[in-house]
Amino acid sequence: MAYPSNSSLSVIFSNLQKASEKQQKPKTAELFGRLAVDFDKGSSEVNDFVGLKDLVSNELSEKYPEVQAAADSVKDRGALRALVWGQKVAAIQKSLIDRYLLKGDELLIGKALFVCEACGFVSLGADVPEICPVCKAPASRFSKV
Amino acid sequence: MYASRNSAKCTKDCLCLFVCPTGATDTETGQIDAERCLDGCRLCVDACPSHAIFLVMSNYSEPAPKNSELAGKLLELCESKYQQEKAAEVIITNAESTPKKKLAEALRRSFRITAEDCAREAGYMLPQSEKVKKLLEKFAGINEDAKSALEGL
Repeated sequence: MAYPSNSSLSVIFSNLQKASEKQQKPKTAELFGRLAVDFDKGSSEVNDFVGLKDLVSNELSEKYPEVQAAADSVKDRGALRALVWGQKVAAIQKSLIDRYLLKGDELLIGKALFVCEACGFVSLGADVPEICPVCKAPASRFSKV
Repeated sequence: MYASRNSAKCTKDCLCLFVCPTGATDTETGQIDAERCLDGCRLCVDACPSHAIFLVMSNYSEPAPKNSELAGKLLELCESKYQQEKAAEVIITNAESTPKKKLAEALRRSFRITAEDCAREAGYMLPQSEKVKKLLEKFAGINEDAKSALEGL
């Protein structure tokens, strides 16, 4: 079996932490949580929104079509679902950065940010969305930043 | 299988207290006492008028295998999102205003959640799966938490 690279280990473990919480296994969840921290060793050369926007943009135009083709060819519907959500969320991430680069701090006046814990959708508005437009999770799955 | 309560849905009608033969549903924490809950009994699940109680499995079957080429590509996507998370962290640290910091924080969380979804679809969905156990075995010799997690699965 091929092992995942170091830069996906923290994510794998934090996902397993959430899975263990859902299974009502707090001790196992805590261990996976600690592993997620232990293996969170990444760093970034990119240090501004312009650079971050390029990363998101390149992922959408270069990376996603490649993964999409692989998922299409084996008809993995779970992966296809993740790609549908992921591409929508990435497009929204990019658009938010674009709008911030244009308007600056004014963009957030009178508004709050909410993140859907199920799919990662970021909402910018006065109130929490009733339902997630990307994955249809209810308002209770959103956390306020 | 033991019962668990979703407190966000619980309407406190407390019919679960009437039917539970061991008193496991009546606790000060609001959660059902798994130690006293009878395996697969489900009386409280059926009695609850607000569908707030569900059964958590004790045994899980091995998930359907993933195509290895696709799994590899999903992990690459996961890495790409992890890199974006790291960039967002740098922006948070250097942010000169609260709105900028908040936007970067929202994005940081969003990158982590979407990265986790890629990891899940790459086959690291179920903690008890063989794939996860093999990964933990790799680190069990050098990391105490990995060793304990493996023993607990």
